[in-house]
Amino acid sequence: MDIIQFVLVPQILNGLTIGIAVVLVALGMTIIFGLLDVINMAHGEFYALGGYLAISLLACGMNFWVTLLAVPLLMLPVGYLTERFFIQRVFHSQDRHILTLLLTLGISIILQDIFKLGYGPNTLRVQMPISGGTEFFGVFLPNYRAFILVTGSLIILGTWFLIYKTSLGAMIRASAFDKEMAGSLGVPVRQIYAGTFAFGVALAGVSGVLLAPLYSVFPTMGHDFILMAFVVVIVGGMGSLVGTVVAGLLLTQVQSISSLFISPALAEPLVFSIMIVVLIFRPQGLFGKIGTG
Amino acid sequence: MRIKSFRMLKRYAAVTCIIPVVLTVLLVVTGSSIAAEVLKVGILTPLSKTYAPIGQQVRWGIELAAKQINAQGGIAGRQVELIFEDSEANPAVATQKAEKLFQKDNVDFLTGTVNSGATLAVGQIAERNNKLIATTVSISGKITGSGCSPNVFRVNAHAGMQANALANWLAGQQPGGQVYYIGPDYEMGRNAVASFRKQAELNKLKSVGEVFAPLGNNDYSPYFGKIRSSRPDILYTSVAGNDTVRLFSQLNEYNMLKKLLVIGASVSVTSQNITAMGNNAENFVTVSGYSPELDTPANKTFVSDFNAAYQSNPDLYGADSYGLLWLYKAAVEKAGSSSTEAVREALEGLTWDTPQGQKIMRAEDHQAQADLFVVKVKGGKFVILDGVAGDIAIGKDTCKHF
Amino acid sequence: MTQKTHTIAVPRIVSKNNAGHFMAVVLAVAALVFYLIGVVIGEVFYFRLACEALIFSGLAMSVDILLGYTGLLSLGQALFFGLGAYTSTLLLRDWQTGFWLALIGSLLITAPISLLCGLIAIRARGVYFVLITFGLAQVAAKSVYNVRELGASDGLTGVSVVTADFLLFKVNLGHAPSLFLLMMVLTLSTYFILDYLMHLPFGRLLHAVRSNESRVPFLGFNPQVYKIIAYILAAEIAALFGAFYPMLRGFVSPELLFFDTSTNAVIACIIGGVGTLIGPIFGSLVFTTVKSIVGSYTEYHVLVIGTLFMLAVVFFPKGIAGYFKSRYDLLHRKRENS
Repeated sequence: MDIIQFVLVPQILNGLTIGIAVVLVALGMTIIFGLLDVINMAHGEFYALGGYLAISLLACGMNFWVTLLAVPLLMLPVGYLTERFFIQRVFHSQDRHILTLLLTLGISIILQDIFKLGYGPNTLRVQMPISGGTEFFGVFLPNYRAFILVTGSLIILGTWFLIYKTSLGAMIRASAFDKEMAGSLGVPVRQIYAGTFAFGVALAGVSGVLLAPLYSVFPTMGHDFILMAFVVVIVGGMGSLVGTVVAGLLLTQVQSISSLFISPALAEPLVFSIMIVVLIFRPQGLFGKIGTG
Repeated sequence: MRIKSFRMLKRYAAVTCIIPVVLTVLLVVTGSSIAAEVLKVGILTPLSKTYAPIGQQVRWGIELAAKQINAQGGIAGRQVELIFEDSEANPAVATQKAEKLFQKDNVDFLTGTVNSGATLAVGQIAERNNKLIATTVSISGKITGSGCSPNVFRVNAHAGMQANALANWLAGQQPGGQVYYIGPDYEMGRNAVASFRKQAELNKLKSVGEVFAPLGNNDYSPYFGKIRSSRPDILYTSVAGNDTVRLFSQLNEYNMLKKLLVIGASVSVTSQNITAMGNNAENFVTVSGYSPELDTPANKTFVSDFNAAYQSNPDLYGADSYGLLWLYKAAVEKAGSSSTEAVREALEGLTWDTPQGQKIMRAEDHQAQADLFVVKVKGGKFVILDGVAGDIAIGKDTCKHF
Repeated sequence: MTQKTHTIAVPRIVSKNNAGHFMAVVLAVAALVFYLIGVVIGEVFYFRLACEALIFSGLAMSVDILLGYTGLLSLGQALFFGLGAYTSTLLLRDWQTGFWLALIGSLLITAPISLLCGLIAIRARGVYFVLITFGLAQVAAKSVYNVRELGASDGLTGVSVVTADFLLFKVNLGHAPSLFLLMMVLTLSTYFILDYLMHLPFGRLLHAVRSNESRVPFLGFNPQVYKIIAYILAAEIAALFGAFYPMLRGFVSPELLFFDTSTNAVIACIIGGVGTLIGPIFGSLVFTTVKSIVGSYTEYHVLVIGTLFMLAVVFFPKGIAGYFKSRYDLLHRKRENS
């Protein structure tokens, strides 16, 4: 009984909040890949940028909830300009996979140093906006984690709705499937590209704000998070929304529960081995890409 | 065709010859322009990446000491010049920079390494270049134990010394208490937990479990279930830096801070992360070689000088680094020379004054013996609960290399 | 801008890599001059810095074999560099095997491991390959970081100075100028051997795989086989140069396997010029020098290097070697016209 009440149930619940957090970070990455075929190596740094913008806005006296809305809005132009200035520049090249990857890698290196330049090397923390916790049947869940569970799920559902149920989403999927064809049908492909990149970046930003009270803010925070996000994106199938959610939730559960039985340091290699096994049997990941499924 | 390409070859050859010549001339000129009487100290410390905040304290401590020493007329009449290099807390970078400081800048002494990997690797470079180094930060027992070197000194307290002092204090506070250990999964974290656990068990405290989380771990909540079901009274942690901020805020989320006495290694809560931790750090108990709250005239002057210069309080890294330069001054003046052999001999067994009080450099393993303090976080400050005499904490000499 | 300027493309296959060979000769002459001056003034530091740059140039060449000739970007080449470095450390320190066996041991152990990693990674194309190599190296680095037998986060110290026995003469690797000469000979011979390989049918097939993998089977060849051979070859080169690292610095640490080591090699490769093999050597020399000098002046050296890298990707995608080649071709053409 002790084991179930104290260990197993909370473990699954904790794994779920961590899963939602990972999915939120991975979601933007998967959308950007699904549409633009761009591996955004700077995604972790955009996530960090979200956290840092939140720190700045909060320091200006803004309320946390306003910040939560303001940061993604501020991130939109950042993403838009990044796409227009860097990604577009090499987008039509034959090596665009590698070139965009190298460019975003460069951006990530530069951003990390800029954070340090602007905010100093020390850790910054955002005050927990909702304190306390709820206990049911002896299982304890902090209220802010419950909030993340709900908000995170809403954001994920909202993104799915946007892409699969709106006409804008139809244009995005059309551009991902065949950009020439979409272009000839009057879809403003360039704007769609830049806009989607911006949307992905804004998603990274909003996760940065949401997770800042839990995980605190420091220059290398994005880098620490990104490997797990990559694994989730690969296992789910690059560019698949459903795949990202399924893989994100499953893999974090594996990590969370396995850490009860094996050394937590081995949980990461374990998750990674799962990725390799998945790739051996399904090189394209569990689910297909946006626009094809 | 042949002749023409030969002519072109000649032109390129000329260019290729000129570049290295110009480079070397520049090197020789810049290298020799510094007057010979200056005493050069290299500070090889992380100024970028994860450990940059610690590097900043090291830098401030040494700079302040150098300023004061130079104002007093220098060391044995020679002015001190500091040369900083960024180690990035990466041994591979640190060794390259150490060679630069030894071979190109020709420093007389080197300090500042933070992570034990860098200290050990740079110590070996120092041996090969016949120079001396000292660490003011690394706490791994290996540096003055199994991996000791005649060229390496340490002025700060190592993990074992802290563990001795903390376990003694804890046994007095909560006899027979149940302890759970949580540490980061790397050398320092495991070493700190192992040495504390050993001491705690010698003091009849009960160990109920331990967990090692990966370095840079985002979420500690998956380990909380295990901790709660073991029902400990005391949580010992050696988690450091950014990770501590997360650990404590998550402990607070799960209401565990109130139910547990949280203690830990000196690296867990430091002046670098205490602001970010806010209220969560309250009541944390650790053993440290220093606290700015220390009520002695020497420390009061030090703290006010430090604040005047950097608008910030010194922490143990700042204080130990500050103290180190005074040790070097005492050694060079005692030896009457800055040669490696003379300074080494002078350093061994030397007693000198620091803001923390008197320290003695033990000749057998080059570990400084200093009083330690049991400190508790109150209102964001390290309040001193108890002092532990240095000769009790230091433990036996385990160095076999010299 | 036209499309062409933005491909980090391989220069068209030429029967002889004249510009590349010429650069190699320039490098050799410069090295000799540097050596003579260095010996006269008794320089130590710059010799050893150059040795480090040359060691990392091997890693950059290894990246280039995959990226420039096979079209596969590896963000985890540090895995094999570290493998070589750790193997050679253990052999030299704990087994006292000496110079040759340390090198051979590193090469031998890399073969099966790179075959295994290759079999996993090669199945994936494009970005998947990138991410798998990234992940493999990350997991290896984290494991080494936690294995106490390998020194865990502290790494392994205590490799004593090595003497290499070449039958006719002996080289003391603790002597900076000798080590420099040895490294220079090793780097340049590796370059010439690899360059030769790349002009054999094997190299041409790699090129075909890079340009259009799906058509290679029509020629009667299995592209996977060639990719895996290239992967193993690249891993062996990385391990060979990695094996020299402890001989230079006397220690190894898990940081050698980290992401930073892999990206630095990619940066050196891009700055030097992808698909040229000689470019990465120049790139590595430039990178190491710039990092060492800039690092002494500002702690924001990452910012400087990151910016240089971005500029190189956007404006000089052909790198130093590309610039050299265009100059060389220009000169050549002028002379033919006159």
